[in-house]
Amino acid sequence: MNVLAAVGEILVLIGTFFYFLSALGLIRMPDVYNRMQTSTKSATLGSLGVMVGVGLWALGSDFGSVAWFTKTIVIAVFLLLTNPISAHALIRAAYKSGIPLWEGSVVDKYAEHLMSKTEKSEIVEKEGDAE
Amino acid sequence: MLKRALAIITLLIIGYWLAQGLAGVPFGEDKMVVGKYYLEHVKEDTGAVNAVTAIVVNYRGFDTLGEVTVLFIASTGVGALLWRKKKKRTAKTEGSLVLTTGAELLFPFVVLFGTYIFIHGHLTPGGGFPGGATIATAFLLLYMAFVTYEIPHRAFEKTEGLAGIGYVLVGLIGLAIGGYFLYDWIWQTWGWGHDNIGRLFSGGFIPIIYTLIGIKVGTELSGIIDNMLKEGVSE
Repeated sequence: MNVLAAVGEILVLIGTFFYFLSALGLIRMPDVYNRMQTSTKSATLGSLGVMVGVGLWALGSDFGSVAWFTKTIVIAVFLLLTNPISAHALIRAAYKSGIPLWEGSVVDKYAEHLMSKTEKSEIVEKEGDAE
Repeated sequence: MLKRALAIITLLIIGYWLAQGLAGVPFGEDKMVVGKYYLEHVKEDTGAVNAVTAIVVNYRGFDTLGEVTVLFIASTGVGALLWRKKKKRTAKTEGSLVLTTGAELLFPFVVLFGTYIFIHGHLTPGGGFPGGATIATAFLLLYMAFVTYEIPHRAFEKTEGLAGIGYVLVGLIGLAIGGYFLYDWIWQTWGWGHDNIGRLFSGGFIPIIYTLIGIKVGTELSGIIDNMLKEGVSE
C-alpha cells in the first residue's frame, strides 16, 4: 500500500464521518431550516471527501487508473456546484409555503423585507388609483 | 377498515404465490442458454463492448423500434389530450436569482453529458434512452427555473420525426443490403471498425442508432413536459 492509497482511505473515512454527522443532524435539529443547514453542508463535503478519496485510492492501488480519478473529480465538481443550488431552492420553497421558523429563532429579516415590499407595492397601487 | 384488511390479505396471498413460483428459479447458477451465446459472440457479431446495448439494438432491434414507437405514441397522446388553442405557462412566482443563474449555467453541461451518454452507448452503460432522458431533464430545468420559457416547437417536433424516420431508414438499408430488417450493414458488410473494438468508431450501427434514439427521446420528453406544464388560457 502506498501513500496515495492511504490518503484516499483516510479521506473516505472522513467523508463517511461527515455523512454520519449529516444524518444525525437530520434527527437532532428542531426545524426544517436547521435540518437543511446541517444536512446539505456536511453531505456535500462528505461526498467530496469520499469521491476524491476514491480517486486517490484508485491512483495508488494496483488495479486502479487515472481514469477513475478524472471521473471522480468531474462528479465531485458537479456535486459541489449543484448541491448548494438545490438546497437554496428547497429552503426558499419551504419559506414561501409558510413553514414556520423554530420558536427559538430571534430575527426574521426576510419576513420584514417581504412586508416592506408588499407595503411599497400597495402604496404604488394607491397612487396609481388616485391618478 | 374491512376493505384495507381484505386488500392486505389478498396482497399477502399473491405475494406468497409469487414467492413460491420464484423459489424454483435457479438464481446465480450457470443456466444460461441464449445468454451464453450473447456473451461469447457479442464482440465478433456486433463490435460492441457493451453487451446490453448490442442485444437491445442489434440482436433484438425490433423491440427497441417498438419502444421508440410507444414513446412517440405517448408524446402524441399527451399532445392530443391536452390540446387547446391558446396555451400558456402559468408559473406565478419567479425563481430566485441563484436558481435561474444556476440553471442557465448548468444547462449546457447537462446537454453535453446526455450527448456523451448516447454517443458512447456501445462502450459504457447507458444508451439512447438514458441519454435522451438526461437531455429532457436539461429542458425541464429551464422550464422550472424560468417563468417564461418555451422550447423551439417547430424545430423540435420536426427533429423528433426525422430521428424516428432515420432509425427506420437504417433498418431499411439493412433490409436492402443484408436481406432482413435492421441488418447491421456497417459491421457485417462493410466491416468498418473491425480493428478498433472498444473505441469510439466501432460497434457497427449501434452508435448511429443510439444517436438517433437519443435525439428522438430527448425532444419527445421535452415536448411532453412542455405540454403538461401549460394550461389553457381563456381569451
